[in-house]
Amino acid sequence: MSSAQPPLKIAILSESPADEAAIAVLAEVALGRQCQRVQPSLRARGWPSVAQVLPAIIRHLHFNTDAAGLVVVVDSDNSVVHLPSHDAPDYFHPYCRMCQLRAVFRQTTKKLPPANGRERVLRGVGVAVPAIEAWYLCGRDEQVTEAAWTAGLEIDRPPYTRPQLKYRVYGTDRPSLYLETQLALEAVRRHQGDLRRLENDFPGFATLAKDLRSWGQ
Amino acid sequence: MIASVAFRNFKALRSTSLALAPFNLVIGPNGSGKTSLIQAILQLRALAKLPLREAVADNERQPEGAEILFRFNPPFDGLEASLTCVSEAVCDLLQVTPLPSGEGVDDWAGLRTRLLSVRSYCFDHEAVASTPALKDGAELASDGCNLAAVLAARRQAFPEAFARFTAELFRLLPEYDELSLIERADQCVQLGLRLADGAELIPAGDLAQGTLCSLAILALAFDPAPPAIVCIEEIDRGIHPRLLRDIRDLLYRLSYPAEAGETRAPVQVIATTHSPYLLDLFREHPEEVVVTEKHGRAARFTRLGDHPDLPGLLAGASLGDLWFSGVLGGVPEDK
Ligand SMILES: [Zn+2]
Repeated sequence: MSSAQPPLKIAILSESPADEAAIAVLAEVALGRQCQRVQPSLRARGWPSVAQVLPAIIRHLHFNTDAAGLVVVVDSDNSVVHLPSHDAPDYFHPYCRMCQLRAVFRQTTKKLPPANGRERVLRGVGVAVPAIEAWYLCGRDEQVTEAAWTAGLEIDRPPYTRPQLKYRVYGTDRPSLYLETQLALEAVRRHQGDLRRLENDFPGFATLAKDLRSWGQ
Repeated sequence: MIASVAFRNFKALRSTSLALAPFNLVIGPNGSGKTSLIQAILQLRALAKLPLREAVADNERQPEGAEILFRFNPPFDGLEASLTCVSEAVCDLLQVTPLPSGEGVDDWAGLRTRLLSVRSYCFDHEAVASTPALKDGAELASDGCNLAAVLAARRQAFPEAFARFTAELFRLLPEYDELSLIERADQCVQLGLRLADGAELIPAGDLAQGTLCSLAILALAFDPAPPAIVCIEEIDRGIHPRLLRDIRDLLYRLSYPAEAGETRAPVQVIATTHSPYLLDLFREHPEEVVVTEKHGRAARFTRLGDHPDLPGLLAGASLGDLWFSGVLGGVPEDK
């Protein structure tokens, strides 16, 4: 990680402080530089509140802060998984959370005039399939991949449930926020040197990493 | 501890029953039975203090009087406790009868000891900020008015538990780094928190309402010898929505001590709330949420986990928003 550059100012919108801590680590690796998070931190009450509050957050960051970009990560739960075919020009899947969040970014930023020395707040969107705990298990549990989940959904037999993933990560059905944060950080730090495995197993993370790498261009 | 409660003619609870879990979050409009549930449990405790009376014939009871039946979890599932009315409109008769199966048939004494430790709290920030007499620190009062004395006593008698309590306190409220309990010349204890950056000591009277209520809940969660059952009304009172996750974690520490690394017995928790933000945190455990509903003058209980379409509903909205919308029930009737 380059230490010559000043930290990049970013904002993160996710469902809990534990997720946010883990996403911050992954974002720094993908960006290849240190980040500084905008204060106060942002929070949403899960889906669909993330999509509902996102236009206001983009607008706030654009006019009232010097944040370079906004990272948004949500769980897919049981919704439609984003596929490469959704990336076709002008395509938009109404039930895919990745497509929905990208559309909100597009529609909100195009209406805003330049502010704080930049055209717009840069976009980083990731969708954890079916929950961010699946990312935490990457490299620890071969059975847990986005492809395994999608294949399971197709035959109406998901390979695991959200509570099962959470139990595998936290060892309890009711982790405290403290435990959740510690274990989330421990999990993502295993990928600190190399994100390739996570990107390979979880295209919903790979799209986020791709977004973030484009920020430097 | 308590497995179930069945009500007949008890205030608005005309005919309803409720199975209780280790942890129970009760939501619903005012007057729908949240407080009545807690009052029934407290009445069981009050009558358990007295010697058990001989069996009373049915015709000696008030014919339309209230009746409340309690069943218990092992090791007391062989007993049933009934509260009925003999001389007054309030339940004034406790009878304990053995059931055909279950443990503890002969252990009313053991069950009674557990029931006598039931406690109910409704923390009031002004009370929590008061300066109690040092000698009044044996156990936390229902409004939290002796918190400073309880903590001073705990510091003396259970230094390890006290240290874990303060460590958690500074993790939850990182703006502070010292808990001050000053024993004054008049034998009263004054509580304060020292700011981490400025080293300024903030006396309890100047602390925020939510900080004081959080302190009381924290003290309860780290009680080295907690009650068997804890009822807490309006658990979210004064607390910022972003801190409710910590409050939920503290309550879980009581109900599921092993998962929090505690070695003591589980405490059954019955907490009430009006906060959709707190309810959001039970998405993974809807079976822990009790909805109270009032139709006309009659109220009843349902478990959110029994809602047939909950997973489908949750795909489109948060639990708190669903509750507010009315689709889960537990909302006031239109005027
Ligand atoms: Zn898509």
